Amino acid sequence: MSDQTSTVTAADYPLSSRRPELLRTPSGKTLDEITLEAVLDKRVTAEDLRITPDTLELQAQIAEQTERPQMAANLRRAGELTRVPDERLLEIYAALRPGASTKPQLLSIAQELEGQYDAPVNAALVREAADVYERRDCLAADD
Amino acid sequence: MTALRAPDPQTKTSKRTAALEARPVNLDGFVDEWPEVGLVAMDSPNDPQPSIRIEDGRVVEMDGRTREQFDFLDQFIADTAIDASSAERSMAIDAVEIAHMLVDPRTPRETVLRTVRGLTPAKILAVMKTMNVVEMMMAMQKMRARRTPSNQAHCTSARDNPLQVAADAAEGALRGFDEVETTLGIVRYAPLVALGLQVGAQVGRGGVLTQCALEEATELRLGLRGLTTYAETISIYGTERVFMDGDDTPWSKAFLASAYASRGIKMRFTSGTGSEVQMGSAEGKSMLYLEIRCILTAKGAGVQGLQNGSISCIGVPGAVPAGIRAVLAENLVASMVDLEVASGNDQTFSHSDMRRTARLLMQFLPGTDLICSGYSACPNYDNMFAGSNVDCEDYDDWNTIQRDLQVDGGLRHVDEREILAVRDKAARAMQAVFEQFGLPAISDAEVEAVTYAHGSNDLPPRDVLEDLKGAQMIMDEGITGLDVVRALEAGGFRDVAESLLALLRQRVGGDLLHTAAIVGRDGEAVSAVNAPNDYAGPGSGYRPEGARWEEMKRLRHTVSPSNPEA
Repeated sequence: MSDQTSTVTAADYPLSSRRPELLRTPSGKTLDEITLEAVLDKRVTAEDLRITPDTLELQAQIAEQTERPQMAANLRRAGELTRVPDERLLEIYAALRPGASTKPQLLSIAQELEGQYDAPVNAALVREAADVYERRDCLAADD
Repeated sequence: MTALRAPDPQTKTSKRTAALEARPVNLDGFVDEWPEVGLVAMDSPNDPQPSIRIEDGRVVEMDGRTREQFDFLDQFIADTAIDASSAERSMAIDAVEIAHMLVDPRTPRETVLRTVRGLTPAKILAVMKTMNVVEMMMAMQKMRARRTPSNQAHCTSARDNPLQVAADAAEGALRGFDEVETTLGIVRYAPLVALGLQVGAQVGRGGVLTQCALEEATELRLGLRGLTTYAETISIYGTERVFMDGDDTPWSKAFLASAYASRGIKMRFTSGTGSEVQMGSAEGKSMLYLEIRCILTAKGAGVQGLQNGSISCIGVPGAVPAGIRAVLAENLVASMVDLEVASGNDQTFSHSDMRRTARLLMQFLPGTDLICSGYSACPNYDNMFAGSNVDCEDYDDWNTIQRDLQVDGGLRHVDEREILAVRDKAARAMQAVFEQFGLPAISDAEVEAVTYAHGSNDLPPRDVLEDLKGAQMIMDEGITGLDVVRALEAGGFRDVAESLLALLRQRVGGDLLHTAAIVGRDGEAVSAVNAPNDYAGPGSGYRPEGARWEEMKRLRHTVSPSNPEA
């Protein structure tokens, strides 16, 4: 998933100013390359202004070091979701709303997250939701 | 022989009573406690007793319910928010002892955090019930995540006028707000108003974060586009029924939290006492107990922060005995679980100036990560969040209270010349951006009017239908924050373009994802990671001094040796 081997500590925060050499945009640009000139001649696009899974992993390490394990877990789930396109992300969110999906539908989303987006932690979250929704009557009625 | 009639208030009341009846506080609504429907601040006979049982590293019983009996909030909290490895130890500590740890400045913040992470909702409630508001403020002063308090503003317009929002955002940013938030009367206006907020804020001070309160999916969409730079209106609730009525579950909200983080966007959840009563399903529990369940849900989802303090439901806790104590308690509990807290004071609360100030001081005096969430930077009639506890007519009062008490509420007095300059610049920047995007023109007369305006009544009306077509065009053409950067540059506002780009660039590094992060004056992220609260009693922690204190000393009118006539 990542060939990143760096580890960081809270002393490296904020990474943007203290460890900029560790940061890249999804297309491999450095922060220094995101200049107004580059934006104007469209060498930098909206796709560049995104965080990568590697950077989210670094920030998750900082969250862990500062004793915020739940935040670290959230940032790692986020790392997986960087691979899911905007529209699909919105659709999956909608599908997780109460009464929106049947259990098979949720399980199929979990499978998609795992298979298509290499997002096993999010897949586990959706499977857990499917179980809880079944127990607490939050599933859509089977049609 | 005359017999004096016994006094009968049915036929005649005293002049003093008449004077009291006329006081604004008697326009406020008050109700007696009614625990069966949850109209009770923090002590319902139906609140559960604290309990915990751990088996194989897993919570199998919590607050009198076994796993099979858990509703979805119980399950989410038990599995994600409570540290099973320390829970039995923490739960064994007496509630009064935990309260002492909170209040005693010699017990470090970290020690408290390590204890609290093992507590159940009912136990946290038990701790809060032992504390009065002064003790809670002492605790808040230490438990707030970021070293320095900050403040957030509402910038809205009764006519959804994007130019007004831009000018008020610019002025607000200049006055010291680190976050500004808007919402709409007509939802379809959102793209233009979000644009106004974003451009105006960057004119006032580069780095001020902006958000647009909308339905969850729409709010996310604007964030993904880079038309907003944080998100806050991600509501959670303390009973299963109300959570579902809000069309979400802890799992959908946890997914949404990760979705925002996956794009490098700062976000917090929102909750507050009274929402479950207001939505009719409080299960007879106290407002604070239900809110503690929300706070732990936010913690478990891994979001960095929470907006709480009753928020739009403040009328509910405000009406019952000890309700405002409960509101402070909910802010404190959010801090105790190490979340950023944006602490309310954001909704019209009372007709009484004394009462709204007393309510405000609970957060203002100890300092929270964002004291108001937010402070109305527009007149009350323009506030589309239904009014705030404080508004732009209170700026001088706020600054004076800061100066009187030497307490930093995040704002400062700014000279008229500077205010007019940024309002004018924000309006001209909007004029340029509208022109670049081919949106309905902003006239010079509008720029002039908004520079000197107080509220939307002072502005020429815009052609709403044309504006709405323009708003639709922004969505249809997929205009992004980067397009706004380009439009600003092309329109001659290169410095504003640079500021906005710098803010959007923050997404790449993700520093703003950490607890209580804001962008400092130097453009760097300031959060609980690099500026953790180090309060440890008298002589320690953040106290306004140096340049900041000099700034706080300035008011509109002060007499001085150099200015004896003021």
